[in-house]
Amino acid sequence: MNFKEIAKRCETGPLTESKDFLMKSVAANAMKLTKEYEVSWDGKTFVNLDDEMADRCWQAGKELFLKTGIYSMNSTRVIEFSEEEVEESLRFVQPQLAMGAGKDRVVAHHRQVEDSRKPFVFCGPFNANVHEEMFVRLNEAFSREKLVDCLFFPGYLNEVDGQLIRPTSALATRMAILYGQWSREAVRRAGRPDMAIAGHAVMAPSEIACTNEEWGLRSTDPRAIVLISELQVDDVSMTRLAYYQAYGCPIYMAFTPLIGGYGGNPAGTAVVAVASFIASAMLGGEVVHIGPQHMNYKQQTNQHSLFLSSLANQAIARNSNIIATTSHTTSGRPGDPQYAREFSALALASVTSGSNVSGPRPAEPLGFNNVSPLMGRLFAEVAHAAAGLSREAATPIVEALYETYKDKMDLENAPKGEPFEDLYDLTTLEPTAEHQAVYDQVKGELVRLGVPLH
Amino acid sequence: MPDAERIYEAMKKSIETYDSDAAVAAAEEAVAAGLDLLEAVEVGFANPIRELGESFHRMEIFLPELTMGADAMKAGVDVLERALDESGGKIEKKAVVVIGTVEGDIHDIGKSVVATLLHANGYQVHDLGIDLPATRIIEAAESHSADVIALSALLSTTMLYQRDVVELLQNKGLKDKYYVLVGGAPVTQAWADEIGADGFAHDAFDAVQVLDKAMEGRAK
Repeated sequence: MNFKEIAKRCETGPLTESKDFLMKSVAANAMKLTKEYEVSWDGKTFVNLDDEMADRCWQAGKELFLKTGIYSMNSTRVIEFSEEEVEESLRFVQPQLAMGAGKDRVVAHHRQVEDSRKPFVFCGPFNANVHEEMFVRLNEAFSREKLVDCLFFPGYLNEVDGQLIRPTSALATRMAILYGQWSREAVRRAGRPDMAIAGHAVMAPSEIACTNEEWGLRSTDPRAIVLISELQVDDVSMTRLAYYQAYGCPIYMAFTPLIGGYGGNPAGTAVVAVASFIASAMLGGEVVHIGPQHMNYKQQTNQHSLFLSSLANQAIARNSNIIATTSHTTSGRPGDPQYAREFSALALASVTSGSNVSGPRPAEPLGFNNVSPLMGRLFAEVAHAAAGLSREAATPIVEALYETYKDKMDLENAPKGEPFEDLYDLTTLEPTAEHQAVYDQVKGELVRLGVPLH
Repeated sequence: MPDAERIYEAMKKSIETYDSDAAVAAAEEAVAAGLDLLEAVEVGFANPIRELGESFHRMEIFLPELTMGADAMKAGVDVLERALDESGGKIEKKAVVVIGTVEGDIHDIGKSVVATLLHANGYQVHDLGIDLPATRIIEAAESHSADVIALSALLSTTMLYQRDVVELLQNKGLKDKYYVLVGGAPVTQAWADEIGADGFAHDAFDAVQVLDKAMEGRAK
């Protein structure tokens, strides 16, 4: 749908209070439709195996979106869409998207449930805080990983020259420029000069400043826009979206449905998630990222999130051409085996459900640089291996992995892990022997559990 | 006193069924029956809403139900408070809290859940909203005679503004007057310590516990 028309509706849609939108429109309709379409969770299932329920979830989510529209938080107006507009927009969703350029050009695809095609791998620091001194080195290490298709969110630079940065300040603009320069430098050093870089520098309009064809993020690099939970946009996001669309960047649209929130239980939140997928596509999202949040856990490998991700992704895979990708955040942190067990569980659930993958990252990184390119390699390997599995085959592996970390999901008590500089030899940019041993250990465990890793 | 028991039961049911009209009716009946209104607040509304909060924590109910239950409680307690005012009485609050999301940050849900649970647990809460400049937060704390300033930030870029609130309080010589509680996805105890905040909460339930401990003996 034409962006100009959507921007216009931000200014002309019906005035509504935020609480009324969330309670009377989203929550009331989500509860009603979840019940009406018999979308449910039995309290046990990790990976949805019920195709008919996935289709009902799609119907419920589409109907929910037609009733809610999207809320513009700044104008306090609802952007409404007719059924014809939604159907037409969904009909024109492109099932593949090229990113990067030259020999580094890659293509992401809409995937089917149990698709044997390898998922697209967005991998990088995923917005963990990265210190300016380590920014280029650790992003170079991520970019060296051959299975990583797109360098993903090269990290928040929340201080430069020791100065903390206010997001709307002049320093934030300077930071955005450095973000673009250093990200490009990292992929150049890795020998992939035209590699796609998914950018998300700051939650402010000045993020636009990292765009430059020579030294920064280019028109071939996907740019991220994040919806506010649930089904809401703000002026900052819309401003950035207006620029990136006009500049020709692929649009990476993300949303974060809240389990226990306005959608209620995991089934109701899956219905809200489907509505959010459609909202993202209506706004021009060409890759759509689901990143479930949870009222009690900040991470995405709890059982509720595993089920929600599987059900919502299957609804999208079976009923649309939307290119879906799933966020992977964990309680455990890089340097400890729990980190890898968690992201593997979710990758197995999401990839067999028709998703591509984004991540991984600890939900609560400790300090700066709490990331690992080697774990990114294992993440990509597991995601690729999952492409050959059925949901039935993946389920017992997901359950077995969940058993290993279910009592350590509390972020305070989850393994602390180590920063990049302790996990890697900074001279050779290779993992330390200890970190390599963690990789070997978990990979061995996964093979024994039945993940077809080579 | 059977009348009191029946009315308290009606109050409890109004919370459990998220029914503001029923809460108001039960509260009006309590006033008309000449019940001990402080006891009515505690037994009829405060205990059931705390139970609702615990059900929310166990994920037996969800945010819409918690919000509707809190709205019902507020409607009922408002009736009792007005009657108490007229008779010169006063509902004891653990503390007065002003809460909001800091400047540049428009995330509302987490902050609203904290506000709801604090209210349910006996705090007088003034929810100032989102995207709040430090000056506005401090002005509101002063005008509401607050004990606590609770600051939410969901982004690692906007949590910087939590520091600005503490710094401005220090500059104005007001820091010791308030207990400053910080929270939000990227916020940690280390950050709270670094900026000189008094407390840090992981989530809404933790916020209640942290403030209960800090406010012990400060009922007003």
